[in-house]
Amino acid sequence: MGGFLPPAERRGSALVGLYAALSLLLLLSGDRIPAATLRGIGAWMFAPFDRVVLTVDRLAAAWRENLLLHEKISQLEIENQRLRLSGVENDRLRRMLDLPRWRGQLLRPAEVLALGGESLPSSATISTGRRQGARIGDVVVTGNGLLGRVSEVFGSMARVVLLTDPNSAVAAEVESTSVLGVLRFMNLPHPRLVLTGVPLSDTLKLGQRVVTSGMSRRYPRGLPIGTVSRIGRDAGGLTQEIEITAAARLSRLRHAFVLTPPPLPEDTP
Amino acid sequence: MKQIWTMFVFVAIVLLLRSTALTALAARGVVIDVLVFATVVWALRYGAPWGASFGFVLGLAADLDSVHWLGRHALVLTLLGYAVGRLSRTLVRDSGRTQLVLILLGTLLHQTWTVAFEIGAVGGWPYLVQRVLLAALVTPPLGVLLLTLLRLGTGQPLFGHAVVESRPTS
Repeated sequence: MGGFLPPAERRGSALVGLYAALSLLLLLSGDRIPAATLRGIGAWMFAPFDRVVLTVDRLAAAWRENLLLHEKISQLEIENQRLRLSGVENDRLRRMLDLPRWRGQLLRPAEVLALGGESLPSSATISTGRRQGARIGDVVVTGNGLLGRVSEVFGSMARVVLLTDPNSAVAAEVESTSVLGVLRFMNLPHPRLVLTGVPLSDTLKLGQRVVTSGMSRRYPRGLPIGTVSRIGRDAGGLTQEIEITAAARLSRLRHAFVLTPPPLPEDTP
Repeated sequence: MKQIWTMFVFVAIVLLLRSTALTALAARGVVIDVLVFATVVWALRYGAPWGASFGFVLGLAADLDSVHWLGRHALVLTLLGYAVGRLSRTLVRDSGRTQLVLILLGTLLHQTWTVAFEIGAVGGWPYLVQRVLLAALVTPPLGVLLLTLLRLGTGQPLFGHAVVESRPTS
């Protein structure tokens, strides 16, 4: 082929051949290539730029958000007072019944620096990393509800696998009904969060809240996930397939919190 | 050397745009294929070798930015950059229609390739087809509009004229 092409074109053809071969090699290698380090370097390089872009965007929204937050804080302070009283009462009752006490969670605030994924975001880069105490497996939430889990930790950043990652699975329950299921993200026939494995005999209503069940050790119990938006049957007809509207607004992520659990007591298996 | 730096800066800008403003739009179902737009523009301006190089670097960076396997974007954008670069010598590069067709074909190719990795049950095909078509409908007009505004703003052609090789006359 090179014989009848001018030298510049031959160089171009050789170059594209090299790139295409390299791309194919990477594609065929799949998971065998450890890309986490490269992704870490990329995230580190882009972090300052991401911050600049996001700062401009956030400044514009900060004033309006500030007003809303003031109002919300006042409401929450009132509600907090009521919850403190309920908490004291709950503690006393659990002690009387010999039930274990709730363990507190440490919240570390983080900025969402970037979102990744086709169509819907399936991963996020946040500004809390190893130096801030984040660890792989830590739960990430927003003020509205569960967001996902930390999958990779870098110096001062971490990558979070969101609920919308097709490989993510969350043990969940429908609030105050004890109906249990596993929350998964399904891309087809259209992107949606689905609570799977719910027996047909369980009765549910639209609008009911879905929270983490604590049945797996990955997520503590009681974190809001979303609400029931559609109830159907799965393809096999054996269980229900319940669509969930996520509580966290995945397309408008600005801030998140990394939930670090306190160390488990020594007698915990 | 300067061109290499310019290329990396352009790649960085494209990726920033993709991971911030365009992600929010994509979550609402509007996919603007900025990777294809950038590759077509670069290949039209600098030709096939640079188009392929830009497509490869941009694609690889986009692959690194996502959680899927490396090489998915890199392969298709390399070929796109090369093809557009080769074609650029015989086309009127500053013509809006040329740009529209190139971005349209590029978007269709890129989106179809990307979607091919997500194909599962037949029931999901309409959504994927809709995603490809929507991207192909939205990206070209927006891209051409942006290039037209840039051309009007700078007051000069962005890509120059097609190179016509001189041949000895007999």
